[in-house]
Amino acid sequence: MSKVSPKYLVASLAFIFVICASLVIPNEEMVFEDERVFKILESLGSIETEKFPDTKEFGVSAKRGQELIEKGFSSKPGGGKTKKQSKHFVCTSCHNLKKEDPDLRFSDPQARLEYTAQKDMPFLQGTTLYGAVNRESYYNGDYYKKYGDLVLPAKNNIREAIQLCAVECAQGRRLHKWEVESILAYLWTIDLRLHDLELSDEEFVFIDAAIQNSTDQDSAIALIQSKYLDGSPAHFGDAESSRQAMKSLKGEPENGKLIYENGCLHCHANRKYSYFLLDDCDLTFKYLKKKQGSYTDHSIFQAIRFGIYSVAGRKSYMPQYTMEKMSDQQLKDLESYIDMRAE
Amino acid sequence: MIVQAQDKVPQTFKDTRVINTQSVETLKAGILDFRVGHRFGDAAGAAGGWPTFYGLENAADVSIGFDYGLTDNFMIGLHRNKGAGPLKSNVNMLMKYKVMRQEIEGRNPFSVAFSGMISYSTMQRSEFEFDINFFDKRAHRISYNLQVLVGSKLTERLAMQLGAGITYRNIVQPRDFNDLPSVSAVLKYQFTKVFGLILDANFMFSEFHTSENNRYPAIGVGFEWETGGGHVFQINLTNATGMAETDYLPYTSSNWGEGEYRIGFTIARQFKL
Repeated sequence: MSKVSPKYLVASLAFIFVICASLVIPNEEMVFEDERVFKILESLGSIETEKFPDTKEFGVSAKRGQELIEKGFSSKPGGGKTKKQSKHFVCTSCHNLKKEDPDLRFSDPQARLEYTAQKDMPFLQGTTLYGAVNRESYYNGDYYKKYGDLVLPAKNNIREAIQLCAVECAQGRRLHKWEVESILAYLWTIDLRLHDLELSDEEFVFIDAAIQNSTDQDSAIALIQSKYLDGSPAHFGDAESSRQAMKSLKGEPENGKLIYENGCLHCHANRKYSYFLLDDCDLTFKYLKKKQGSYTDHSIFQAIRFGIYSVAGRKSYMPQYTMEKMSDQQLKDLESYIDMRAE
Repeated sequence: MIVQAQDKVPQTFKDTRVINTQSVETLKAGILDFRVGHRFGDAAGAAGGWPTFYGLENAADVSIGFDYGLTDNFMIGLHRNKGAGPLKSNVNMLMKYKVMRQEIEGRNPFSVAFSGMISYSTMQRSEFEFDINFFDKRAHRISYNLQVLVGSKLTERLAMQLGAGITYRNIVQPRDFNDLPSVSAVLKYQFTKVFGLILDANFMFSEFHTSENNRYPAIGVGFEWETGGGHVFQINLTNATGMAETDYLPYTSSNWGEGEYRIGFTIARQFKL
């Protein structure tokens, strides 16, 4: 029997060591900060597929969905362009397409105002479409008062919510199936990411471990879902209550300036979505101040709390700011800014 | 901040017309502007006063029509006017193109627009050869007007505009000239955001356009309300009887000095199409 050369023995042992060592190296971390929330939930066993776009429908594309959302029309699957969905609005008239709340657990209008101002985004009546596919309910709270039974099919069905928004909110035409699916396809490109949830290191490790070890999965799902609202709360205020509430508040004109510039001017500057022009002129502020006490459309209290309603022959209107979208304190701030500029 | 200041002046005038004169404003793309205008009879003077209830029982001109914004800078219009000059029952086709828009703190202190109008008289043909409406040729029914308008919002309250133009009529009365140069001036003073004073004046330059031939500058003064929702209402006093450029520029024969001015109004209502 021939003797094994020591150098081959050492090499063999080294090889075996490397193989064994590689087996005990922990797997690479599976959860990344920019991982999509729905993917993580899927890994934890929470699978929801009915919100996925029906890509078998001819012509469905996220690009077309984005065009519909931002421009109101898109290229048609068979060539040419679609008719404008609404002659009054596009989705981005009232909805942002990026994260607008610093903490997704709360609908805090002041935090939103500051956050959107930091990010150069407008301060709008509608809830951002970012993460819309992650929500479970739409047209919540007092929207039933406004749209009645039309809300019922839209409440837990994103497709019906899109149609309700198209026809009632935007005062436009009903969308074709491929258009709805395209919008849905686009919304799935702006769904929540893990980093949006602002998880602590411990929470992150816990979720990671739940996925790796298939343990505590229900707790991990609950933890993730507790980090964002599953629907946007909506409570309507009224002008008189706001007027009364504001009597005990002190206005901050600087905050009001932000609201005027990032909210009011988004639609009214250069008559973008409105016939009523707002600008930076003293005459405008004097007019708004004069109208504050009135009960007309041009009173900020009436317009913000009730919106401007459609009338025969004039379908365009202004949707109101719910209490979650503009607080009475913010309304007071806006009033104080208008008063300051009108002096 | 999303909107710090608009780099362009959003509105120099509230309407596309200031009394009779075209303003530098054009409609935004997709906006249909339905317009009804009326000029009553002489408020004072020989034909006015109590017998005609200060002119309100007479109609010098009536206009009804639409303007439409094809782009934010280009609009077209189609109007039917009763007509106050010798050529009546006019169909007026309008085009206006804004070539430059005033910047708030920029290099352009003015807005500039070109306006063109073609008028076609659908008036019944006269049997008499020397009448202007004998219409020997179909072309005789047609008149043209072309203007350049330069306007500026000087302050928040004050805006002004100067214009120059030429009107060409394919047929004119004896001694008159087919081409008629003119200049215009417009002033607007805004009392409040929605209420302002407006003035317009048009001066014609031709050997025939003198007071001896009963031709006068067309001068108007009025008030303008923006009533919301795309409504603008103008009420005015003007010596011009016609409302279209091809009418009031060549044929204004009323004299303010003799009480030959009238109440007029224009209602404009905008729709999105």
